[in-house]
Amino acid sequence: MTGRVCRGCGGTDIELDAARGDAVCTACGSVLEDNIIVSEVQFVESSGGGSSAVGQFVSLDGAGKTPTLGGGFHVNLGKESRAQTLQNGRRHIHHLGNQLQLNQHCLDTAFNFFKMAVSRHLTRGRKMAHVIAACLYLVCRTEGTPHMLLDLSDLLQVNVYVLGKTFLLLARELCINAPAIDPCLYIPRFAHLLEFGEKNHEVSMTALRLLQRMKRDWMHTGRRPSGLCGAALLVAARMHDFRRTVKEVISVVKVCESTLRKRLTEFEDTPTSQLTIDEFMKIDLEEECDPPSYTAGQRKLRMKQVVLALSSGEISSYQDAIEIELESSRPKAKGGLASLAKDGSVEDTASSLCGEEDTEDEELEAAASHLNKDLYRELLGATPGSSEAAGSPQGSGRPPALQSLLDPLPTAASLGISDSIRECISSQSSDPKDASGDGELDLSGIDDLEIDRYILNESEARVKAELWMRENAEYLREQREKEARIAKEKELGIYKEHKPKKSCKRREPIQASTAREAIEKMLEQKKISSKINYSVLRGLSSAGGGSPHREDARPQHSGSARKLSRRRTPASTSAADPVTSMGKRLRPLVSTQPAKKAATGEGLLPSSPALGAEPARPQAVLVESGPVSYHADEEAEEEEPDEEDGELCVSALQMMGGDGGACPVALVPRGPLHWDGVSLWQGEPDQVSACVCSTVGWAFPELGPAACHRLPQGSSKAGTVALLL
Amino acid sequence: MDADSDVALDILITNVVCVFRTRCHLNLRKIALEGANVIYKRDVGKVLMKLRKPRITATIWSSGKIICTGATSEEEAKFGARRLARSLQKLGFQVIFTDFKVVNVLAVCNMPFEIRLPEFTKNNRPHASYEPELHPAVCYRIKSLRATLQIFSTGSITVTGPNVKAVATAVEQIYPFVFESRKEIL
Repeated sequence: MTGRVCRGCGGTDIELDAARGDAVCTACGSVLEDNIIVSEVQFVESSGGGSSAVGQFVSLDGAGKTPTLGGGFHVNLGKESRAQTLQNGRRHIHHLGNQLQLNQHCLDTAFNFFKMAVSRHLTRGRKMAHVIAACLYLVCRTEGTPHMLLDLSDLLQVNVYVLGKTFLLLARELCINAPAIDPCLYIPRFAHLLEFGEKNHEVSMTALRLLQRMKRDWMHTGRRPSGLCGAALLVAARMHDFRRTVKEVISVVKVCESTLRKRLTEFEDTPTSQLTIDEFMKIDLEEECDPPSYTAGQRKLRMKQVVLALSSGEISSYQDAIEIELESSRPKAKGGLASLAKDGSVEDTASSLCGEEDTEDEELEAAASHLNKDLYRELLGATPGSSEAAGSPQGSGRPPALQSLLDPLPTAASLGISDSIRECISSQSSDPKDASGDGELDLSGIDDLEIDRYILNESEARVKAELWMRENAEYLREQREKEARIAKEKELGIYKEHKPKKSCKRREPIQASTAREAIEKMLEQKKISSKINYSVLRGLSSAGGGSPHREDARPQHSGSARKLSRRRTPASTSAADPVTSMGKRLRPLVSTQPAKKAATGEGLLPSSPALGAEPARPQAVLVESGPVSYHADEEAEEEEPDEEDGELCVSALQMMGGDGGACPVALVPRGPLHWDGVSLWQGEPDQVSACVCSTVGWAFPELGPAACHRLPQGSSKAGTVALLL
Repeated sequence: MDADSDVALDILITNVVCVFRTRCHLNLRKIALEGANVIYKRDVGKVLMKLRKPRITATIWSSGKIICTGATSEEEAKFGARRLARSLQKLGFQVIFTDFKVVNVLAVCNMPFEIRLPEFTKNNRPHASYEPELHPAVCYRIKSLRATLQIFSTGSITVTGPNVKAVATAVEQIYPFVFESRKEIL
């Protein structure tokens, strides 16, 4: 029935029992599968008579919601930070999304974007609200909902450009290509807000048609869609005999009044606006307009040309007068070049620019700039009259137009000259500079006299200093007070110098060939606890420094004691070479098997009253796990106390946690050293475990309050330290 | 007219920003009180100094780092920076002119045609971004050149880049793309 084939007999008649959760071949009876996870839903009847599904709902996201046994309180206890972040994000997205009236699908998509952003660490350094708004807007764009970024910024009370920045970053980093905004999307929404009643549809249709036309006339590129919508809706409303003021429209579409007016005038300039309403509804004009800004630019250019033509051709008497005045004052109008251009000859200008400028020039310059100012003021004041009189087509009183009117011949010439001069100066000066590289300042092409003019003379400086001092009297007083205070504090010795902020450097990953080296480096890098006697620790590592065996021991942690003892035996038998045997003894003795422990514990109990006092927890007793055979062989060595003292035998003491699951291991030095060693562990239990952890690199579960005991020599062969839980 | 016809494009450089170091501590108050062309911003801890010829504005920090803006060519920027260093020397500082570097160049360029921004954005997706709600121009980034171009529908392009050469290359690179989505002349 399942279409499967029995492995045993090849029969196809396999029975699945959902209740027991196994699959059995009915032909041969072999159980093909057991503990099948059932996919059926079971229902139980509750006391009230209703039925409910058995089981627990496990949501898709977040391990935090996995059913926990015996939980209940501490809701967020086991939850990861990431899961919490996501949950918060989800909540915010829902909150904001509901305000925008987005549907569930959009919210889910937004949440997915948010998850992506979180996993890419794009939320770092940004406000949660901004990221969430950006996610939501991203969805609005991809789904084409009529929401603007402005709406979100309205809700959050955040600057729209700030949101825009976040949005752009998210779109770029997540590689989401949001389609360009179509202003047509917003028409129904705005139309609804403008309350056209029954004619809502017709008005929006007209507005859409207007909008299409505007798009074809290039009014829409580079423009905010809402402004365009506003203009289209306003016109459409008027076309359908609705009285909607500009104010009403702008309050809906949220653009400035002048923007809307500008759009309307732009639309006025297109040929479509010349049609009657009926014509507009029927006729589609073929041609496209240039973008309004482009036409505006072109018009400006044309105006300039017209003005030029006018000035060169028939010149009205007013213009003539202006020209004459201009001619007389033109050289002065060019600021820095005024004195130079006065002569009108290029050679003069160049030579005087390159050469020295004397004080006379300075005076001239000052006079020129003064005159220049007056002249401009005069001209600006005279503008409307003159240009009207001239009959020029452009609107009167526009500064740019005037500028163009004033600009014709001499400017270009003088500009060209100045450019060429500048060029020759810079080319002169830049070449030798490149050779000299950095270091001494190359002075070529720099005239000190002019620079001197930037620097005030003594009396001027004094006046300025006085003024400045008066202006900043309060600040100076504060500074003095501060200095006095610091001096005082320094005297008292309580002054704390503000250290410059250390630039947060990422620590280089520890590169070490062996684990021991790695630990050493790590210890060098950071002090783990102030309660650890580091000098002892260092002595410990230096004493055991020669042996590479400590690293070997680490992986053996999980190995069985028997394996260890087997390994040890050959080591100790080869004790002829003391160095190697010492080395071997440095290896921590590890036992993980309860059976072994029981055996060693037996040996310990009579000799250690401390252990005997805790009969309730025999497993907690930790003993060096050295097998008997090993010690028997080692006895000869034990008789040399000096050697013992010198060397450091690290014995791994193992503890069984209360429930037997966790096996914290401590390394304690043996021999006289180990009394110092004990002092190592006198801190808080946490630090003990931390220290041990850091020394060994093993992960430790909770370590209870620990006490160190040295066991009598006799019980366990060498000086053994037991760490009691 | 095709994309690689030699249309002369005028790239008008409007701003060059450069930095240099003086390798000496600068007493800002002294500069402020003895210079005629300075603005001292005490609360920020900087002095603004303006020069004519070349017309640049410099931001002077007490650490000796100086940022010059307003030049219209790299040579001019350097010339201005040297003049600035000279005027600091005249003010009595032991100025050494080092680490001169042009950091940013802003240029404007006008295409002889209009550009269809939506189309252009669609064709150049990962690099170009067009958000009329935020900015009227398409923002086009060229990572390799570290240049950013703002492309307007009228055909004007604003380019920022680390140096003049990068700016010129950026314009060269962008030209075929914008040419593709230009407005057809009817």
